Amino acid sequence: MTQTRRELLGSLGIASAATLLWACGATTPTIRRDPLARDDIRSWLRDAVARLAAVYPAVHVLAVTGQRTTAAIDVLGTGVARMRRDGVVLGVRDRDGMWREQVTSDLSAAGVLAAVRLLVGPARQRATISFPEPPPRPKAPVALNDLALKARVAEVVKRDDMLNSRIVYAASQIDIDDALVWSISPLHDREQRLVRVRKRAVRAAWSGSRPVVCQAERGWIGGVDDHAIAQADIEAATAGALLLTTPGGFDDGERDVILDPSVTASLVDAGTRAVLTTTAARRPEVARRLAIGASFAAPMITLVDDPTVRGAYGSFAFDDEGAPATPQTLIEGGRVVGILGDRGRGRARRPGHVGGLEPAPSHLRVAPGTVSHEALREDGFALEGGHFAVIDPSTDRVVIGAARARELKGGVETGRVFAEVELVGSLASILAGVRGVGKETSVFPYRDEVDGEPRWRSVEAPYLRTRGFVRGRRRRT
Amino acid sequence: MITRRELMRALSRHKVSDWVVIERTQDLAIADAVRTTRRRENRTRIGLVVHHDDSRGRGSARLEIAGHEDDASAVVDQAISLAIAAVGPSWKSVPPAAPAQVQLFDQKLAKRDLADVAAELALHMRRPQGAKVEAAAQVMVERVEVSSQSGLTTRWTASELVVEALVSAHDRSLAIRRSARREADLDLDGGIAAAVADLGSLADATPAVPGRCALVMTAEAFLHGDTPAGVWSVFAAQADSVLERQGLTRYRVGAPVASGATELDEPLTITSDGARDYALRSAPLGDDGDAVRRFPLVERGVAKGLGLSTREAALRQRDPNGGVRNLVVAPGTWDALLPAVGARGALPRTIEVRRLRALSLDPFTGDASLELALAVEHAGANRRAFLGGTIRLDLITALARARRSAATVERNGYAGPVAILIEDAELLA
Repeated sequence: MTQTRRELLGSLGIASAATLLWACGATTPTIRRDPLARDDIRSWLRDAVARLAAVYPAVHVLAVTGQRTTAAIDVLGTGVARMRRDGVVLGVRDRDGMWREQVTSDLSAAGVLAAVRLLVGPARQRATISFPEPPPRPKAPVALNDLALKARVAEVVKRDDMLNSRIVYAASQIDIDDALVWSISPLHDREQRLVRVRKRAVRAAWSGSRPVVCQAERGWIGGVDDHAIAQADIEAATAGALLLTTPGGFDDGERDVILDPSVTASLVDAGTRAVLTTTAARRPEVARRLAIGASFAAPMITLVDDPTVRGAYGSFAFDDEGAPATPQTLIEGGRVVGILGDRGRGRARRPGHVGGLEPAPSHLRVAPGTVSHEALREDGFALEGGHFAVIDPSTDRVVIGAARARELKGGVETGRVFAEVELVGSLASILAGVRGVGKETSVFPYRDEVDGEPRWRSVEAPYLRTRGFVRGRRRRT
Repeated sequence: MITRRELMRALSRHKVSDWVVIERTQDLAIADAVRTTRRRENRTRIGLVVHHDDSRGRGSARLEIAGHEDDASAVVDQAISLAIAAVGPSWKSVPPAAPAQVQLFDQKLAKRDLADVAAELALHMRRPQGAKVEAAAQVMVERVEVSSQSGLTTRWTASELVVEALVSAHDRSLAIRRSARREADLDLDGGIAAAVADLGSLADATPAVPGRCALVMTAEAFLHGDTPAGVWSVFAAQADSVLERQGLTRYRVGAPVASGATELDEPLTITSDGARDYALRSAPLGDDGDAVRRFPLVERGVAKGLGLSTREAALRQRDPNGGVRNLVVAPGTWDALLPAVGARGALPRTIEVRRLRALSLDPFTGDASLELALAVEHAGANRRAFLGGTIRLDLITALARARRSAATVERNGYAGPVAILIEDAELLA
């Protein structure tokens, strides 16, 4: 069964309707809000720490005031929507070693105090704490009003010279997650402003009876105008959607493959979260396979999680336990040298800065090689357009989805391009089988949600040459 | 934070044609034995549905307000703007009907501290000998109040318990997840025991051998993941009235759901039942404030009904029914014995899927990709456990034609056969 035009438009329409809010032609009122006074919030949180520290041996308070802004344009029109989210997590460790968290969305003096009282009961004392000097106010990028945002998102479409009537759907989107985060304990007082911007262009067209959807995306921390999606990338997305793929299929089998950076990024992102965290290491089979020092990938693979990369979408100044950001090497020369952890290990992340604590990556970097990606090509397939990667940490089996596979013979494209393929195998064998790493890299932002709260991370990945089982994704009917 | 009353006053001032406000006050307690953490959270989420009429027709908008929104008038302004942008054909709201009468709250939680309940589930569950179980439990009590412009207010209290556990034995591990409205319905002991048994099989498992097979799936497999009703949710997608009106469903009401679906000895019947006591997807009212009703989705292989929101019902001049809720699949008479003779007349290989690793469903086409975590191959008298492999099939046709067990199970928004037999499938490596 192949997807029809109406199915594709329906799925895209549903996706856009669910995530974007439209005001087609109507003026969108600018909603004015009085910003919460930064110093007031600091004083409430310090007071909370002092009250909690009088009862508990370990205390940490994390607070966030945030706003999400989305501006989009598609066939239905242009619109801007804004949503605000605040929250406080009071964390204490009692004398038995049990951590207790009290969470509230009421970031006010009364709200914080009420949450404190739920932890300390009727006690009214405050510990005497010499807090450090408050950190300097973080720099805030210039905020844009609705009109300016609409103009920016329209710009993304205007720069696409390849749009033509075969493109049945085109959309551009800017979304901004602006969070001001405080982390206060008896030993530290930290504050960071994280303005995460993503710009995206989506294109869809028909290749025979199959829809082809491509997108170009860029994400960073900073101002909306700091970066743009490169015109070449937008046009590449349009070209990718317009590409006429080869009808029929190919024989499933073991192949040499070149993974483009988006496919590499899918693999690295899913693999890190599935096996290179303290959560994953609770599984005995994972702990055994990925013991520190174990050989896990080809010697040319080095993987670092680095939240200090300036402007990276997943970067931060401190994690959600207040630990200052430091780079951490996970794989060096193909060997496992570290895993991501919370509880003082510097990778404690909370969805939306208020959700449950979990170890998670920030900005992953696969070290690039020294050869251009064209030099990696021999016989096999070049996989492009990473969709997803599913990894079973128990068995190490991985399925990586790619939008296109270009057939190669003698390093040259044969002209056959197959849509929707999967690379299947064991994570270890695919990584151990890497025989080439390209020098060109691309960066990909990732944003997903857990119980309505966002998680952010990014991956910088090169081209990789490896080997695995390649099969078509669609059922042959 | 905006209160429900402030929002209702703002709505009255703005002269909105019709509206519904749904306030959910949630008290959550989480106990995590691995992180030695106990977490409490009180949160209030307000959902607002606004219908706006103008000369072009009626537009609707839905907003969720969670965080520190403090200007009710601005929120209503935004909702009206959105409704104006989404104007479609005119329709009129129907008079409200009586909410469904359904039990959603475990009375045993009434006098207990939720934190203690969560801790007991996570820290003190029974652990079989030779196995390690690390669990986290979440207990939520939610008070819901729905107010509509017609002046009706409906209130109810619901509970939900979720337990996630990592079971380790024989140097391997399996993750299990159970959710229910009542503690007694979690069946943690059964889930852990089944996981320990499967871990024993994993130790001797070999790689998958591709090829055609008959497929047996148990509830543990076909209810995989967070999607309510697991694989059966493909029929819920086909009963989406918006998709049906847009011509995006595979079949229409009155037509067989698949070729030959009506000619079987036991054609498929599925009912949506949102009034089932203690079922996860039950509720007195739907997301639009419309009364939840029981209705057929599929009857003897023929598509019978659609989930109807207030708008879709009005456009069809029918009554709304609160949308597709818990799926009740009529059991069959299959005695769960493995087939001796397959569809092609030869002794088949039968693969009994014990656990899935991933389930990917295309809601429009019904195509599904099932990544196997653990399965057992039965070929004659031989039995072999294996890991991995992918089953790819047209799930609508496969489920319409599947034989269904007489024994039933109720879990995760599903009530129906505990096992199904699909006579012809292909296992990919």
